[in-house]
Formats: sequence, C-alpha cells, structure tokens
Amino acid sequence: MANKAKSIVWGVRREGRTLWTRNAVKGISVRGERRKRDGRIEWRRWDPTKSKVAAALLRTSSEPSSLLPDPGSTCLYLGASSGGTVSHIHDFVCGADNHHGGQVVAVEISPRMVRDLVTLSDRRAGLVPVLGDARKPAQVAAFIRGKANWIHQDLSIADQAQTFVRMATTFLTPGGIGILSLKAASERSSEGNDNLRFQKAERILRESDLVLLERIDLTGLEEQHVVFSCAQASDAITAANSTP
Amino acid sequence: MEIHFDWRLSRVVDDQGNIVDEIVWDGPMSPSGVAKRLLKIQQGRKLPEVITLAGRFPDAAIDPLGSLSDPNWPKAEEPDELFRRATLTLAKMGVAESSGDMDRRLDMLVSATLEARSSWTTSESRCIEWAGLFITEADLDSQRDEIPSAISSSQSIAEASEKLGVNPPKHLPSDSEWSSMVSHALAVSSSSDILEQLEVSIREIATIHVPSLSALLGPISAAKLIALAGGRERLARMPSGSLQVLGAHAAMSAHRRGAPPPKHGSVLFSMPQVSRSPRWVRGKIARYLAGKASIAVRVDHFDGEAWGKSQIDEINGEIEAIKTKFPKPPKRR
Repeated sequence: MANKAKSIVWGVRREGRTLWTRNAVKGISVRGERRKRDGRIEWRRWDPTKSKVAAALLRTSSEPSSLLPDPGSTCLYLGASSGGTVSHIHDFVCGADNHHGGQVVAVEISPRMVRDLVTLSDRRAGLVPVLGDARKPAQVAAFIRGKANWIHQDLSIADQAQTFVRMATTFLTPGGIGILSLKAASERSSEGNDNLRFQKAERILRESDLVLLERIDLTGLEEQHVVFSCAQASDAITAANSTP
Repeated sequence: MEIHFDWRLSRVVDDQGNIVDEIVWDGPMSPSGVAKRLLKIQQGRKLPEVITLAGRFPDAAIDPLGSLSDPNWPKAEEPDELFRRATLTLAKMGVAESSGDMDRRLDMLVSATLEARSSWTTSESRCIEWAGLFITEADLDSQRDEIPSAISSSQSIAEASEKLGVNPPKHLPSDSEWSSMVSHALAVSSSSDILEQLEVSIREIATIHVPSLSALLGPISAAKLIALAGGRERLARMPSGSLQVLGAHAAMSAHRRGAPPPKHGSVLFSMPQVSRSPRWVRGKIARYLAGKASIAVRVDHFDGEAWGKSQIDEINGEIEAIKTKFPKPPKRR
C-alpha cells in the first residue's frame, strides 16, 4: 500500500485520502460502501462525499481527532436521516456489541428515515433511534443518559445556528465538542447569498456561550456546506453547576 | 427546590443538591411499558410519580432537563437491554403511527395521480396516432374516447374499424404487430380506470380531511394544495398570498429576480372562476379566492364548523360582483 494507515482515534483510520472505521457489524455495509479485511478486523469506508463529518476530518486544519468523540462517550446526533454517518460514529464510539459502553442518540423527524434507522439500530447496541423534533430539547432529554460529550447537528431547516446553540448549550458537557454542519440552501433566501448566510451563522456562534474552534469549508466534497466546530466552555458551566 | 426525573426515577432535590424525596418506578419492566413512559416524557406530559411528588412539594419546580446535569443522578446499569428494546419499540410505534397521518396519505394519492396522468397522456396519444395510421377514416377528435376500447376489444383491425363505423384499412398490420397494438390499447384503458379510481379516493379523503376547502375549490384542488404546501397544518399557517401562488414555482423564482409577480398558481388557475374570467380581473379574483381558501383551511384544521352551501354561494356572488365592477380592461398607458 502506497500510503501508510494512520489511526485518528480508536476505530478510525486514514489511508491517504480515504477514511475507514472499524465495522461493528462484520460483513454488512450500511449503504453499499466498500469493506476490507485486515486480519481479524474489518474496516468500512467512510465516504467524505456522503458524510459531512468525514469531509470535515479531511479538511480540518487542526488535529482530526479533536473533532471526534472518544470510544465509550455519550453522543447526540441531530438530523440522523437514514443513519449513514451515525453508523460510522457508532462503529468507534460503541464498537461491536457496544463493548465500549457508549451511547449514540440519533434524532430524526421523518418516519420514512426512522424506519431505516430502526433496522440499523436493531443490529447495533448502543444506538438509540428517536423519532422526534431535533430542535426541541424536551423531545430528546428522555433518551439521553446524561450530558453529551459530542453533538453533531445536520438539519435542513432555517435557523440552524440558533438551534445548534440552544441544543449544544443544553446537552453538551463542559469541554464537550459540538459540530454544526450548515447547509446554506436551507437558510432563508432573504438573508442574502451563501457567504452572507455562513457569516451570519458564524456571528451567532461567536456571540453564544460556545467557543468557536474552527470554520471548515467543504468545497469539493460537499457544496454549499460549511462545518463549524465548537466546544462547550468548561469554566462557565462548572461555575454555574458548582454548589457553594 | 426542583423535581428531576427520568423514566425510572423521580426525585425532589433541594437547592444544596440534597435528595428530599424520591419515587422509583415499579411498573411492568417490559419494552412496551418503558416505551409508553418515554413517549409521555417526550410529549411533555407528566409521569404519575412526578405528579405525586409535585403534590407533596407544591413549591418545587419541575425541571425536565434537571436529571442530565444532576451530579448525584444514578447512572443506568450497563448494558441496558430493556431501555434499548423500549426505544426500538417506540421508534417503530412512531413509524407505524405515520400511516394515520391523512396528509401523507393524501400526498401519496395526489403524487400517484400526477404520475399516472402524465404517463396516461403520452400512451393515450400514442394509441390514437397508432390506430389513426391504419384506420384512416376514423375521426381522431370526435371518436377519440372510443378508439382505445375499440382496439382492445377486437380480434382484428377490420373488426375495430367496423366498431368505429368506418371502412377497414388498406394495409393490415402483421399478427404480432396487431397483438402489440391490442396490449398497448389495453394498458391505456386500464390506466384510465386507475386514474378514475385514484380520483374517487382523493375525493373521499379530501372531503373528510378538509371539508370546507373541498366545498370551496373542489376536493381534487384542495388535495393538490395540501400536497404542494406539505400538509394541512402548513397550508393553514400559510399567508394567503403564498397560497395564491402555490404551483407557480418557476414564476415565483423569476419574480425574485425581478420579473412581475405571478397572479395565481396552477391550482387556483384551474378554478373556472379564475380561468374563465377576463384576464384583467383574474388577479383580483385569485387574490380574493386565495383569502377565502386560506380561511377555509384554517376552519378545517383548527376544528371550526365546516362551510356549507350558503357560504360558498356568498363567495361566488362576491366573485361575480368583482367581475361586474370591472367590465372593461384597464386603459394601457
């Protein structure tokens, strides 16, 4: 092999320009992606043109591992669709039979998509499908076991940045990572062109309690999309929670 | 003081984080039992234990997100197979529930009709042209409706010409060519039946789902509006100006680039009150009708009393008044 495999976190590795996750359910592809064996381990191709998280990993200028949750953590995925990206997150957060003890809560509003998500979750312990409105904290709270270490929001509806700020400040643990995939075409057309919409979202994130870490442009992999990575401020929250 | 809870445990916690009172759920530990509780929390309804605790401590505030940030909240036992089964059950229940959604059912019917109609028009005109190639004396306009059935019910092209009351063709199709014509004609008449059946079901469902709007615009147009808007609720919350231009997407995007705004969308234009009126009042009538349609769908969605004939007649009278008020086209400047 021309490029040596490089591990990003447990269960995720990069070989040249391709990303792979360690398949939690051996022998099965979720949406027809390539699989390959390496000894007893099976790796599943994580396609950056289909998954914005994978695209962000390739395009980020900081350490890719800083964008991903650790194995065994609690994750919240808003706008899970049929579960393509969710399955990769599950691969390394939970692993086969959830031996890491992680939890991935996948929220989706469309029954048609949840149908596929249920089929996926049937085989993958630790993956929790939720049919509900990902913009409302109360609809999600019952399913998550505690504060999340990692949140990804991928909704195609207006006011993505405001929703993200609300959900991330509610559910992220101090120091937790929030990833927002912003789709320009989903914002209102009265708010100007794509660039203005991205700038507006960036301003909203900067003015929030979250710490904006990086703005990642996905041009070439996913058009009209920008990924923002944020972190929950650790001091502010601990101060608010600490009992005098 | 606050009440924190999750599906298995409810607690009253004081301001110092001390546990004042708690109730552990002791109901049936089955996936469906847990699923019901999760659904209750998701819908924002109160669990019975929370109600009990709120009765014991009336000044305690109920915080649905409290258990997440509570440092003393007990961790779930791992791995929690029961919770997992419950979430799967709940998601499946939700998916099953979506077939009760009239909007989705109406959308299926309307989309199926749209597709069936577009394929029917092409096949039907092909069938007519094909028959016309051989049976040259048939009148393709006045006999149009009879031609597919005449072809499909005949043994030979001579018999078909006889049914249409004209002379047999000069050149006969080969046997297999004729069989192809017959099966093609059969497909055309069966797809006409399918279309009719679809429209019957649309009428039936739309008159139940949106009685007032169906009375005003007819059930088929009412169903089309709902499908275009993406549901009855969305249509009900839509300003009437948006309803007026539903189905005029191209004209609306041209308008955003500076073209004059469309007067009406395809659905309102299909109403004879609009399309049969002189062009200079169409915009006025479409605006008026859209306003009334928007009220009608709100009446239907928010449980109002459905409109009857008297209201519809009143609206039609008003439309006539608009027409008589503007009998002549405005002067060009």
